[in-house]
Amino acid sequence: MIKLIEKIEGEAKLNFSFKDNKIDDVSVDFMSTRHVEDILKGKTPLDALVINPRVCGICGHAHLIATVRALEACYEDIQISNKAKIIRELTLTFELIQNHFKWFYLTIFPFFGVKQEIAKALYPTQLMGKAIAVFGGQYPHTSYAIVGGVVCEVTNMDIIKVQRYIDETTDFFEKNVLSIQNSDLKTLNTLNDLSHVKGDLRDILKKIEQNDWQNLGKSYDRFIAFGESSYFKKGKSIKTRVTQNLAIDDVKETDSTTSFAKSVHYHDQYYEVGPLARAMIGKNPLIKDAHRRYGDSIFTRILARVYEIPQLLEHTKILIESLDLSEPSYIKPEVDISQLNAVGISAVEAARGTLIHKVEIEDLKIKSYEIITPTQWNLCGGHEQNLGVSQKAMIGLDNVKLAEMVFKTFDVCSVCTTH
Amino acid sequence: MSERIEGVKKLFTSKSTRVETNRGESYYADLFEKCQARLKELRENGPINRLDFSEVLSENGVDRRDFMKWVSATTAMLMLPPMFSPLVAEAAELMNRAPVIWLELQDCAGNSEALLRSDGPKIDEIVLDIISLEFHETLQAASGFQAEKQLDDAIETFKGKYLLFVEGSIPMGMNGQFGTIGAGAETFYDHLMRVSKDAAAVIAVGSCATFGGVPAASPNPTGAVGVMDVVKGKPIINIPACPANPANMVGVVLHYVLTGQVPELDSLLRPKFAFGYRIHDNCERRAHFDAGEYVEEWGDEGAKNNFCLYKMGCKGPMTFNNCSIVRYNEAVNWPIGVGRGCIGCSEPDFWDKYAYERPMADAKIKAPTGGVEKSVDEFGLGLLTAAGIGIGIHAVASAVAGKKEDGGEA
Repeated sequence: MIKLIEKIEGEAKLNFSFKDNKIDDVSVDFMSTRHVEDILKGKTPLDALVINPRVCGICGHAHLIATVRALEACYEDIQISNKAKIIRELTLTFELIQNHFKWFYLTIFPFFGVKQEIAKALYPTQLMGKAIAVFGGQYPHTSYAIVGGVVCEVTNMDIIKVQRYIDETTDFFEKNVLSIQNSDLKTLNTLNDLSHVKGDLRDILKKIEQNDWQNLGKSYDRFIAFGESSYFKKGKSIKTRVTQNLAIDDVKETDSTTSFAKSVHYHDQYYEVGPLARAMIGKNPLIKDAHRRYGDSIFTRILARVYEIPQLLEHTKILIESLDLSEPSYIKPEVDISQLNAVGISAVEAARGTLIHKVEIEDLKIKSYEIITPTQWNLCGGHEQNLGVSQKAMIGLDNVKLAEMVFKTFDVCSVCTTH
Repeated sequence: MSERIEGVKKLFTSKSTRVETNRGESYYADLFEKCQARLKELRENGPINRLDFSEVLSENGVDRRDFMKWVSATTAMLMLPPMFSPLVAEAAELMNRAPVIWLELQDCAGNSEALLRSDGPKIDEIVLDIISLEFHETLQAASGFQAEKQLDDAIETFKGKYLLFVEGSIPMGMNGQFGTIGAGAETFYDHLMRVSKDAAAVIAVGSCATFGGVPAASPNPTGAVGVMDVVKGKPIINIPACPANPANMVGVVLHYVLTGQVPELDSLLRPKFAFGYRIHDNCERRAHFDAGEYVEEWGDEGAKNNFCLYKMGCKGPMTFNNCSIVRYNEAVNWPIGVGRGCIGCSEPDFWDKYAYERPMADAKIKAPTGGVEKSVDEFGLGLLTAAGIGIGIHAVASAVAGKKEDGGEA
């Protein structure tokens, strides 16, 4: 039977087949595409800064940062001021935070007999959107990052505004999602430490336990993250063993015959990306404890994504403290980008996981451009002998509703996936 | 089809649609009566959904005073005299009488994001909440077959009455197979045709739905076109920009509720209240343009002092939109506010012509004739660059003049 799974962002079609009342196969197909990579071919390199954020209205900022870093990677040596680096990281982090809120309240809530909390999703989303707009001019679809830095000349007044947006978001989180002061996060090291904490996250986790769903939606227990920042580490984690040695060139895409999305693998294996992957690689004590008990189940996955919010909020405060406004926003590269014949690769951590951009510049033009999105890692289909991450997590379940929930804990961002 | 698209672009250069901000007393008196009658009729019809406007406002912490401020601003935005304010307020309260269906086609979901309140002034967003959104794939909880049934029901119930909002372009290549929807794999084209057939009007939101947008960028691999290229025999309203501003979406619905008609459009089918002026006309950096003070290079002293971005390739002088007034993200900021020029995202072909901030001279845009201070339709796509040339000359002259003063050489 075909069960359509639609939205929250874009559309994916899931086609389940059952055997002995259990799902024994499921194909995941994405049904629309724009061929953005072909559009980029032959264009002036800097055009990518305007076109790529428009790959996705949901995580477009990650695409902007990935683009500017890929273009900068074409240089053997390019100077970017600390200030510009920090501002870029701030706006990217704001985008992650607002995505997490929206996913939790709009996508996850309805699975637990609770209505979508539109107001709760939108209030912090709005605040984070405003914080991005202070630096970037607008959200979504800003193009404020340029090769060599950022265009904005930030004033102390801007900083005060952004700090207020962060504080208000923190406040909202503490009042609604997890009733603990963000400054006390370090005291949360095990699931037992969570027992005295209240809030919407706690309620959802309780419901998972009441329904006996703690072990639902396990996949390979294999995680990967390529994006590095002042907060995230790159690495892979296989059954809790973490290694840092990764070769980004070994990430490969394969075409699919039934779907517009290509599947992505590293050394021929599928890996889960996203907040849970980042927490496992970063060895977050609370998430590691959840993982010890319930493995890579929906319990751990939901906890990891929502629990990333307060940590990122705290980190943005540190980043702002380290901003030196007297530094230049932009340092002119010694050579104009169009003069280069080179390949540049970048990886950033977007809300749903690792996003990779690869650009090849030749004779003043983009010769080729490759975009690998987080949802490709998590949701793309494999085949019987080598199942994709979400397929593996859904097979064996006895009803479509549960499978849909498992699928959505990875979060569908389909416009991005097919690009 | 490409001929038709070119035809539309040519239309843009006709002199037919000047913005008239004052149409005289008798016109407005007549319109006022019509609007009153329309609102009375709507009120008698009863609401489609049960949301009470004033309740929703107070739940969101908006008091009457804030609301009335918004009403005055919106009345002005719709280019109506102040006497219409009470009617606009009433129309806002009656927005739940206008059924809306929202389709997402070949897109990035960015305009839905805008609707999801990533940007846009607060009351506009609340007003969007109040609209009777009968079907929206992203916002509704239902999915799959259930969602398809909801759509069919909505079309049947509100036959001939609903406003159809469309986000995203329509891929015509490969028999439409680049984009399909639902279990039956209906192509986006067939889907749009089916749903638009019984719509009162079709509103294309964002640059993809209006002009094809980024998917239509050269070489247009999927054959993407806009709504007006395929939907015929229906009133069509285009709200371009990438993303479209929610204030303008609200403006269109409000106008429809208020008058029962689509707002006055320019030759690209854009409502004149929003697209009647250029970014340049109301830009906060305009004084620097007039004074010949420009950013000459990213990060220079000019950039630090918020000088005009024209020489960095800002397309504000050739882009018709109200961002310089409405701004984004609850009016926190807009691109020019952070020192990145306008990319002309509400103009056809921006993705190929203006994509990066190439100064006009490097942008390979055909130079037409004209001057800086022209009204909408004397500026065409090509004509817009006329402004470019005119301004270019001014830019050079003023820079020379500025230097002379600086150095005291003159």
